[in-house]
Amino acid sequence: MNTYQAVRDAMSTILTKDDSAVVFGEDVGFGGVFRCTLGLAEEFGRERVFNTSLTEQGIVGFGIGFASMGQTAIAEVQFADYIFPAFDQIVSEAAKFRYRSGGQYNAGSLTIRTPTMAVGHGGLYHSQSPEGFFMGASGIKVVIPRSPIQAKGLLISSIRDPNPVVFMEPKILYRSAVEQVPIDDYSIPLGQAETLIPGTDVTLLTWGTPVYHCETAINFLNAPPEGLAKHVPESLRKARVELIDLRTILPWDVKTVEESVNRTGRLVIVHEAGKTAGAGAEIGAEIQQRCFLRLRAPIQRIAGWDVPNGLAYEKFHIPDPVRIMDGLIETLSY
Amino acid sequence: MNVWNRTFIAIGCHSRRFASQAPAYGHLPSSQSPFTPKLKFFNSVNSDGSKIPTYRVLDGIGIPLEGAELPKIDEELARKLYEKMLLLPTIDTLMNNVQRQGKISFYMTSHGEEATIIGSAMALAPDDEVLGQYREMGVLLWRGFSVDAAMAQCFGNEEDAATKGRQMPVHFGSPKHHFHTISSTLATQIPQAAGVGYAIKRDPKRRGKNCAAVFFGEGAASEGDFHAGMLLASTIPSPTLFIARNNGFAISTPSSEQYYGDGIAARGAGYGIDTIRVDGNDILAVIGAISEARRRCVEGGRGVLVEAMTYRVGHHSTSDDSFAYRPRQEVEDRKNVDNPIVRFRLFMENRGWWSKEEDEATKERLKQEIMTTFKRVERLKRHELKQLFEDVYGGDEPWNLAEQREELSRLLRKYGADWKPWRQELDRFRGEGKEMIDK
Repeated sequence: MNTYQAVRDAMSTILTKDDSAVVFGEDVGFGGVFRCTLGLAEEFGRERVFNTSLTEQGIVGFGIGFASMGQTAIAEVQFADYIFPAFDQIVSEAAKFRYRSGGQYNAGSLTIRTPTMAVGHGGLYHSQSPEGFFMGASGIKVVIPRSPIQAKGLLISSIRDPNPVVFMEPKILYRSAVEQVPIDDYSIPLGQAETLIPGTDVTLLTWGTPVYHCETAINFLNAPPEGLAKHVPESLRKARVELIDLRTILPWDVKTVEESVNRTGRLVIVHEAGKTAGAGAEIGAEIQQRCFLRLRAPIQRIAGWDVPNGLAYEKFHIPDPVRIMDGLIETLSY
Repeated sequence: MNVWNRTFIAIGCHSRRFASQAPAYGHLPSSQSPFTPKLKFFNSVNSDGSKIPTYRVLDGIGIPLEGAELPKIDEELARKLYEKMLLLPTIDTLMNNVQRQGKISFYMTSHGEEATIIGSAMALAPDDEVLGQYREMGVLLWRGFSVDAAMAQCFGNEEDAATKGRQMPVHFGSPKHHFHTISSTLATQIPQAAGVGYAIKRDPKRRGKNCAAVFFGEGAASEGDFHAGMLLASTIPSPTLFIARNNGFAISTPSSEQYYGDGIAARGAGYGIDTIRVDGNDILAVIGAISEARRRCVEGGRGVLVEAMTYRVGHHSTSDDSFAYRPRQEVEDRKNVDNPIVRFRLFMENRGWWSKEEDEATKERLKQEIMTTFKRVERLKRHELKQLFEDVYGGDEPWNLAEQREELSRLLRKYGADWKPWRQELDRFRGEGKEMIDK
C-alpha cells in the first residue's frame, strides 16, 4: 500500500469497529483530493462519510462538538496550510476542553487529519509545515508519520487516543512511499520516537519527509558520490550517524533523544518548517539543558529558511541531502 | 450543443410564442432561479423593504394581544416560571455586590433578559444539549442547577465541579444538566453546537427526540464561527437550534454599529433555514416561538434560527460601567416601559395567579435563601493545589507536565515556608499545598 491507501485503511478499520465514528471535511465524499477517503462513503454511507461546506473553523468546531458527546470525529483539513482558520478552535477550545471543564467534558475523540510539507510544486500555500505553531497548545497531540506502515498504525492510535490529535500526513509520501502494510487492526504508540539507524557519533533527529533526505545524507557522508567526495573529509566517512524519527511532535519523546545525545554528544535536528521558533528550537533548548556537559558540539538545526515557501525556489529552501550532509560534517568536525 | 445554447434558444421560443403576455424566460439549470430582464437589486428579506416582524403575545402590561395564541401554561407552571425569573436577578444582584466587595474577581448579570432565558429553557426539553455564551445561567437554574453550585463556580472553590476553580466566574458547565461548559471565546460554541446536534442525530436513542440549542449575543453573531455553524447545521444537516439574544449591546458597541442588515434574523434566509424574530421580553412569546422552533428543528433535523429581541439592563460585566456610553435615563426608561418580569407578573395577577403580597414575600424568601447559601459557600477553600496540573490530558500524563509539577513542588519546598506571600496564597487551597510539598 502507499500512504494514502494506508490512511484510508486505518479509517476503514475504525469505521468498521467504531459505530460512532464519522469522517468529514471538504471533498471527502468522492474520495478526497488525495484519495485518502476513496470508497469510504460508498462503503459506510453518506451519514458517516460526508462533505462539509468550505469552512475549516466550522469543520474543527463541528468535530469538537461531536467529540464532546463521546462519539468519534475524524475531521480532514484539506491542506495544513489551511488549518489556521481553525487555530482558535484547536488551541482555545479543543486543547483546553478537558482542563477548563474540570474534567467533566473532553474532546478526546477528535482527530484532525491534514496533508503537510512540501510537494515540489506547492508554493506558499500547499507546502507548509505548521507543527511548530501547535507545540504550545498543551492538551492536544501532534503526530507525523514517515511511511504507510507508520501512517496506519499511528493514525489508528491517534483516533483512539483520549486526547484531540492533529495528524499531519506528508503529502509527497501519499503516492511515493509504498510498503507492505499489514491489513489487520494494529497501533503504533504515540509519544515514542523510533531509532531507524543506530549510531555512535552524532544523533540526527527528524520527522516526516526529511527522514528520507537524512537517509540519503548519511549515505553521502559514508560513501560520497562524485562531485561531493572532495567536500567530505576521509576521517568523517566512517562516522556512524544515529537516525531517529520523532513521530510524535507533541508530546515528544525526550527520553529517547536525551539517551541518544548523551551517547553521541552531538545533535542535528532537521525539519522543513522555518528555523525560527520551529519545533527544533524547543527540542534544542530542552536537550541543551539536559545534555549540556555531554555535548561535544552546539546543537544544530537544518531547517527551511525564515521565508515563505517560494515556488521556484523550493529546491534551495527545503533541507536537501547535501545541506543535511553539510550540517553533519560541521557538527562532526566542531 | 451546451446548456447555455439550449437555454438561450428556449428564451427565443418563449418570447415569440407568448409575445402578448408577461413572458417566462426559463431558469438556471440546476438552481431553478428564474431569469428576468429586470435589473433589480434587493437588500432585505421582505420584498417591500419592511423589517422582519417581532412575534409577541402579551403587550407591555401583560394583556394578551388580539389574535394571539398563548402557550398552554397552567398556574403551577406560571408560578415556577415567575419564581425562576425572580431567582435569577436575586442571585445576580448579590453576586454583583460580592464582586464589588472583592470576594470574587468578576461577574456578569442577566438583568433584562430573564424572559428570553427562562422562557427558552422551559420550552426546550430538559435533556436538549445547551451550549451557552455566558448570560445563560437562567437555563441552568431552570434545570435545577443549585445556587450552591453556581456560587461555588464563581468562588472557584472546592465545590466547583464545573471548572475546579480554573475558569473565571459565570463559566458554568454541567453534563448532568446537559449544559456544556462556557468558554470566554465568543461564538466558538456555535459550530460546536452543529456537531453536538449531529451526535444527537447519530445516537439511535436520541435521534428525532433532542436538539442542540446554542445561545449567543448579536455581537458574537458577527464572528466567522456563526457563519460556519449556520452553514453546517443547514447543509449537513444537523438538529441545531440557534438562539440569538439581541440585547442591543456588545459591551459598549450598540447593535447599530454591529450590523447593517435587519438584525440576525435576516441572515437565516441566507442559509435557507426557518427563522423567527421574537419579543424576548415576552416570556409567553418566547415559549411559543422556541417550542415551535424546537419542533421544526427536531423533526426536520436541520438548523432553525430564533432572534430574541431584548435589552441588556445591566452593565456588560463588573468590569464595565455602561453609563460611560449610554444615558442612565435610557436604562430607567427601558426598565419601566418594557420589563419582562413586570409584564409576566401583570399577566399572572390578571389571572388571579399572583399578588403583590406574594411578590414581596417571595422576593424576601429568595433573598434569605441565597444569603444563607452565600455565607456557607464564601468560607470554603479552593481545590487542592495539585489541580493546577490535572486534566490537561486524558490517559498517560506527558513527561513535561510531570516534570513541571515536580519543579513547582521543589520551589514550594524551598521557599513555601519562608516567603509570606506564597504561604498566604497556599493557605487558600484545601490542604495548603501539602500534597505538592510532601514527598
